Formats: sequence, structure tokens, C-alpha cells
Amino acid sequence: MRLNEKKFFELAKANGFEAADLCYSHSISTSVSIFHSEIDSYTEHETISLDARGIIDGKFGSASTEQIDKNTPQFLVDSIKKTAKIIEKEEQGIIFKGSKKYHKKNLYNKAVAEMKASDAINTCLEIEKKLYSYDKRINEVVTVGYENEASDSFLSNTYGLKLKSKEIAYTFYAEVTAKVGDEIRTGFKVFVSQDPNEFKVDEFVKEVAEDALKKLGSVQCKSKKYPVVFNPETSSILLKFFLGPIDYEEVKKQSSYFIGKLNTQVASKKLTVIENGLAKNIFFKYFDDEGVAIEKKNILKKGVLETYLYTLENAKEAGVEPTGNSEVAGGKSHAKLNQLFVKPGRKSEEEIFSKIKEGVYITDLQGLHAGMNQRSGNFSLQSAGFMIRDGKLAEPLALITVADNLLNLFNNIKEVANNSKLIIQTATTCPSIYFKKISVTGK
Amino acid sequence: MISKKVAIDVLNAGLETGADFAEIYIEEKISNVIQIDNGKVENSSIIKTYGAGIRLLKKFRSVYGYTNDISKNGLLKLAKSLSNSFTGNREVTVTSIKTKKFKNITPVEIPYESVEKEEFVNYLKKGVKAMQDYDKRIIRTTAMISYSHKDSTIFNSNGIAINDSIERGRIALQCVANEGEKIETGYAAPGAAAGFEFFKNKVDIVELGKKAAAQAILMLSAKECPSGKMPVVIGNGFGGVLFHEACGHPLEASAVSKNLSVFSGKLGEQIASPLVTAIDDGTIENGWGSNNVDDEGNKTERTVLIKNGILTNYLIDDFNGRRMERKGNGACRRQSYRYEPTSRMSNTYIDNGTTPPEEIIKATKLGLYAKSLGGGSVNPATGEFNFACSEAYIIRDGKVCEPVRGASLIGQGKDILTKIDMVGNDLERSQGMCGAASGQIPVDVGQPTLRISEITVGGNGGELK
Repeated sequence: MRLNEKKFFELAKANGFEAADLCYSHSISTSVSIFHSEIDSYTEHETISLDARGIIDGKFGSASTEQIDKNTPQFLVDSIKKTAKIIEKEEQGIIFKGSKKYHKKNLYNKAVAEMKASDAINTCLEIEKKLYSYDKRINEVVTVGYENEASDSFLSNTYGLKLKSKEIAYTFYAEVTAKVGDEIRTGFKVFVSQDPNEFKVDEFVKEVAEDALKKLGSVQCKSKKYPVVFNPETSSILLKFFLGPIDYEEVKKQSSYFIGKLNTQVASKKLTVIENGLAKNIFFKYFDDEGVAIEKKNILKKGVLETYLYTLENAKEAGVEPTGNSEVAGGKSHAKLNQLFVKPGRKSEEEIFSKIKEGVYITDLQGLHAGMNQRSGNFSLQSAGFMIRDGKLAEPLALITVADNLLNLFNNIKEVANNSKLIIQTATTCPSIYFKKISVTGK
Repeated sequence: MISKKVAIDVLNAGLETGADFAEIYIEEKISNVIQIDNGKVENSSIIKTYGAGIRLLKKFRSVYGYTNDISKNGLLKLAKSLSNSFTGNREVTVTSIKTKKFKNITPVEIPYESVEKEEFVNYLKKGVKAMQDYDKRIIRTTAMISYSHKDSTIFNSNGIAINDSIERGRIALQCVANEGEKIETGYAAPGAAAGFEFFKNKVDIVELGKKAAAQAILMLSAKECPSGKMPVVIGNGFGGVLFHEACGHPLEASAVSKNLSVFSGKLGEQIASPLVTAIDDGTIENGWGSNNVDDEGNKTERTVLIKNGILTNYLIDDFNGRRMERKGNGACRRQSYRYEPTSRMSNTYIDNGTTPPEEIIKATKLGLYAKSLGGGSVNPATGEFNFACSEAYIIRDGKVCEPVRGASLIGQGKDILTKIDMVGNDLERSQGMCGAASGQIPVDVGQPTLRISEITVGGNGGELK
């Protein structure tokens, strides 16, 4: 069911709204998971949601609903009025009239929508079987799963702006445990794509199984400062946290370590980070939640911070253009990075390892929601990885921590590797990064 | 909401191809949020959650679907589509549905909807002022209240209907302190499954604001935490997150029933120090993690998980209970109709011991006092966990000395339970949100002050001397 946005906009105007917008989101999915050769769970859904905002006396009110019927426009208008009434912000709310140009692309691949659940179930069963026979030490396949999700959204407002997007992707994931004696290690991988032909069962099985097997025999290293190489996944996690406080909202409220740092050196000259929401992959976006067009831009060029991120309101306040980074949640806009690309260096991981006599290679970081203080940049995180000895990877490490400060860390880059890959978790295409000395705690 | 007659039709449609159990969960929830930033209301929003989930079970298989269309046709369409997952003949037919009643353990005196939004704003501003007045170095404050009223109905093929209403509210005060290049934060966030009377009668918002500000200011002067293995005294209240993560999650039937937990098959075994008794209690009146009934319609329970160190029970939902040949014990929960419910915690805590907390500090020569923890996570298969300390000090010669920042605790769940060598008598519970397979749910964590004889502390301050 679709709400006729006109009815909502007419009612909003009749109630004295200066402007209003409405975002309709619809999603449909099928997912399945396998355990011990049986379908353990199967889920399908179709849902819609409406997020509406309106400006009354210069103040924003906001409401969302999942119920669409003849009373919905009235519910949204009444709720927006109630919420706008208590707003005390001095800045006027802004509903956007539109950008000059939008780089719209259609990446919706019908072939993904046509993937049959029964085929996917067979693929999951095949994955499970192959994981069990991969190596005797794989003692349990915890889960193998598949998901196919399509979504579409429509943002419109009382100025006549109308923006549509439509996406689809499928996912395979699997988790195993490997056991030797009392030691249990887990292996986990997620594969996401918009092309049904991209998924290769044998490669996936190998990645999942090896992820667990390579960790067997893990020990704690001696506590001290080591040169540390973070793999692409963990490098991208740290980078995303590091750059989080470039939201101008945080800067203007004195809560960011990037205050007064625009166009200054905030990281090592070896680090260049480009934001390109328009790159053709599952993270493609051509407009943000406020309707501002997304463009490619530099974030860090040779370590120099080239921009903060501005929502409409913050851009107006700072006298600059909005940057296409707005995310509206619960009526509030804040700026969030679109997908990032770290400029790769020249050396391979192996060449970087070859220069390290004794160091640590980190492949896993845990407890980020608590162990990472994004305001101060201090972190102390449970980690896992490998020792680097005499230029080569040596014994696996578990139950260790790495601790440092993000500003300090990214100013101490020794080398950026050339092994860039797209990391799903962080929407960042990133290589491994080699840092000078970092505190590692083990035994 | 739908009639019993419609529910019978939908359940029977789902059961047509041989499912042995069918269930409809219908939810309508109104949530409100008000956010104050640096003393001014910057954001306010009303959110309506509305939809239904249908679950079909056949032995160890579960099929789940959800939709916003809760008309008869919408639900029948979903039930029929889900039933296509099975290929057998009908085994169960629902002919009648009887409404089952439960005791209301979450009574409300002042419903949030009866209070003007301005009153919440005025209330929060007292906390904001307390933070701002505490110290010049507090450079930013935020305050938030979120409250919700949820009506839900469960119909299942056992011929049962359950109607439930629950109201929850939580506030969060947060501040940022700055000195030179240093930025630190303080935080406090109490809540309850109750009406606004909880805040009016039981929360001193001025004290709460001072507490949050004091934490941020204190951390400005804190040095980097030393690292290595050492004895750690963990403060009461939110310190219980350690038990929640390291032991609570591995005791959930979703992991135990599939033999994926380190505690699978260990009932009756000594898994913790004899000083440890741990309880999950979904029946605490107005508790943040309490429920009148769980999300598959079973009465919530007080479950003793560990008694004097011996594993006595798990957290079980009916579906995962099938593999264990056990009935659910009221521990089945979900964030909303968008999630299939599963075994989860409610209000989980380590029970009081007998030692006064001062004596625990006194008995520690050199170690860490983790007065307050910030949160953590665990890998249920390996039992490896991590926690960040939000307020911590070094203990020297039985006295709490200099504050330290950036400390994290890591270890193995099964080891840590056996290494608890002192348990205090100052049990306190704190509120949190727990995220897992069935979404984000409100939970209490809790414990008295306790000591772990040795645990790995991660930090950037070198060796503890």
C-alpha cells in the first residue's frame, strides 16, 4: 500500500506548515538458514515505513509510522505539530528545494530478484557439506545462511522535489568452529553482491574454513609496544572511527578533535581518503536523506583534512554548501560518511612484513561499541591476529588488546599497502596499514 | 488488532501443510523521543510501530514472516506463503481460542501520554543544569527521554490468546568535558517498565547530572591505564554487564540447544566459584527488563542459573527447548514483530555475597578497581569476552588511588567465573540495551562489588608498578 503524498502535503498546508517532506520506504526479503542439513529457519517479509517532517513557525516536527490507512495523514500532521511545539532551537528548519544535478544510476539487477529460494537452500546445503569435509578439525558448522533483500524509497516534499531509489542484493554467510583438544576457534564470512554469478561456493568455503583453522594454536603475546600491521578489515574500522568526528555538528559543539583543523595536517602524509558514494557497488547512493545530491570528494589529501561534513542546516550556519552526507533518524539530521576509498600504497603486505623483525598483524577487533571512545579517540580493544617474526607471519594470537589514540595512531603510519578491497562492514575500500609502535597486551 | 475468528482462520491456513505449531504476534507501539542539546530542545519525534509476525514450527524447523498489513487478507496471504515451506498434510487444527490472563507486574501510575511534553523538558533541564553547573570544563551536555506504550496480542495453535500492554521509559544524561587537547565523557541512563512516576519518585535527576559530570571531569585527570594480568575489583551495578556477556549469553537456549555453547551439557556441574549465585528474573516489579509474559506467551520467571557455583538452569524458549526436551521458562523475547523471538535475558544479576565492599578493596594490594564498566561483547562459541571500563582506579595497599583511563578487560567466560574470589553485599542493578539475534531489547544487569583474582587488563600505560 502507498500513501498518496499529496493528501499529506495538502493537510500539512491546511494546518499551517511552511513546508513538509515525506520519505516512503518499502522492503521485501527472503532469508533462510541451515543447521545439520535441515532448514533451521526461513523468514520472509514485506514492510513499509513513512518518515515525515514538517516546519511550523520555523520549527521542525517529526513523525514516523508503519500503519498506512485513511487516518495516516492526520496522524502524521498531528504528531508533527505536537513535536514541533517544544523545539527551542534558534536555527530555522530547512526543507530542501533540490540540487542542480543528480547522478542517478539504476543498479537494480532483476536477476537477483529472480534467484529462487529453493536454489539458495541447495547452495547452503552444499556449503555446509563442503565445510564439514574441508578439514577434520572443523567440528561444527554453526550456521549457513542466505538472504535476498530488495528495497525502494521515495523522498518528496512540498517544493515538488521527487527522488527515487531502488536497490537489491543477496547475501551468503557461514560460521564454523574448529577444535583441537580444548581449544575452539570460530570462522565467519559474509558475501554480499548484486550479481548472481559472482558467488563461488568453493572459494567461500575455503575462506570460512581457513578463517577458523588459521586461528588454532593461538597464544597471547608478551605485553609491550610492537610495530603493528592492521589488515584491510581492521584498518577500515579504525579509519571510520577516526573520521567520525568530522561531522560539523560535533565540531561546532566543541565535541570533536577536529576543531580548527580544517585544511591542516591531521594524519600522516601517507594517508589519502576519498569519499565516493557514487561508486557502482552495493553502497551506491545518489542523494542523501535530506535530498542533497551526492558527489565525489576528498576527505583527507596526504593527511590534510579537506572538508567537514555539513547537513543543510549546518551548511547554512557555516556559509558553505551541504555535502550530501545527511542521515535523518528520528527526525534529527546528522552527517555520516558515504563510502570511502583509501588510496593504496605501492608495497604488498608481504613486502611490508619482510621489514618487520618482531611485530603484530591484527585481523580482528572486538567490543568497538564500548572499547572505542570516539570523542577522545582513545581505544583499548580485544584483538586477534598473528605474530610477525623475522619478516614473516608466525603463530596466531588471541585474547590480546591493542590500545592507542586514533589521532596519534593515524599520525604514525609507516606504510599503506597495495591490497585494497571493499570491506562490507565499513563500506570502505581499504588496504592494510602499517603503524609504528602500539601497545599490545597479552601475557 | 484482529478478532479470534480471523486468528483461527490464519492459524489454520499456516498449519495446512503439516506445521505442528502456529503463532501470530501483533504489535502496535507508540514511541516518543525528546532530545536536548546544550540546554535547548533540538529534536522531538513520535514513532508508530505497527505490524504482525507469523511463526510456523515443525519439529526443529521454524518459518517466520512479518508484514505491516494486518488485515485478514494480508495475514492469510502471509500464512499461506509461509506454509509453502512445508510439504506434508495437516496435523493440527485450531477450533477455538481462549484468552489467558496474567498478573500485571509492570503497573503504571502516571501514563506518559497523560503528561505534557513540556513537563518532560523541564524535568530533563534540571539534569542539564546540574551537569553544566558542576564544572566549567563541561563544554557540552545532552539529555534525552524516550518512552513508549506497546499493546501486543499473541494467538497460537494451542488455542490461546494473550493480550498485553507495557509502558517503558528511560532518560539519558551525557556530557563532554574538555581540557587542552583532552576530551572525556560522562553518562547516566536509568529506566523502568513503568510510567513517569518512576522518574518523579525514584530518580534524583540533579544527583544523576552531577554523577555524569563528575565522571567526565575525573577522567580528564586520569592517566593511561597500565596493562597486564592483575587482580580486578569490579564495582556494583553496571559491572554486572560482565556476567551478562561472558556467561548470560552462553546460557541462552539458542546456543545451548545446538551444543554451540561452552556451557552445553554442563547442568549440575561446578562452573563458577562457590561464591557465585546468578539469577535471571523477568518478574521484578517495574524492572527495565521485566515482562508480564514473554514473547511466545509464557509467564516470565525468576530463574536461578547458577547456585553456589553449580549450573542449575538455562534461559529457554519453547522452540529451542524442543532440542533440549525442555519447556520454555519465560525467556523468549524480541525487539518487535520484525524479529523472530528467541531465548534472551531479562534482569540478570549475580546475587549478594557477605563481604562489605570496603573489605574487598582493603584486601587488594595492587590491582585495578573498575568502578564502572561501559559495555562489552562475547563470542559464545569460544567464550572470549571484552569489556571497557568507563571509570577505573589503581588500588594500592588496599586503598583506591589514582584514576586511569582507556582500560579494557579481556578473558574467557568459563575461567572468569571460577576466578571470582570475593563477592560483596551491595547488589545493585543498572539498565542497558542488549542486541542479539532477536533485536535490541531492554535488560537489567547487576552485581555486588566483586573481585576477580586475575584478569588481563588492556591499556596504553605500560606495566603496573
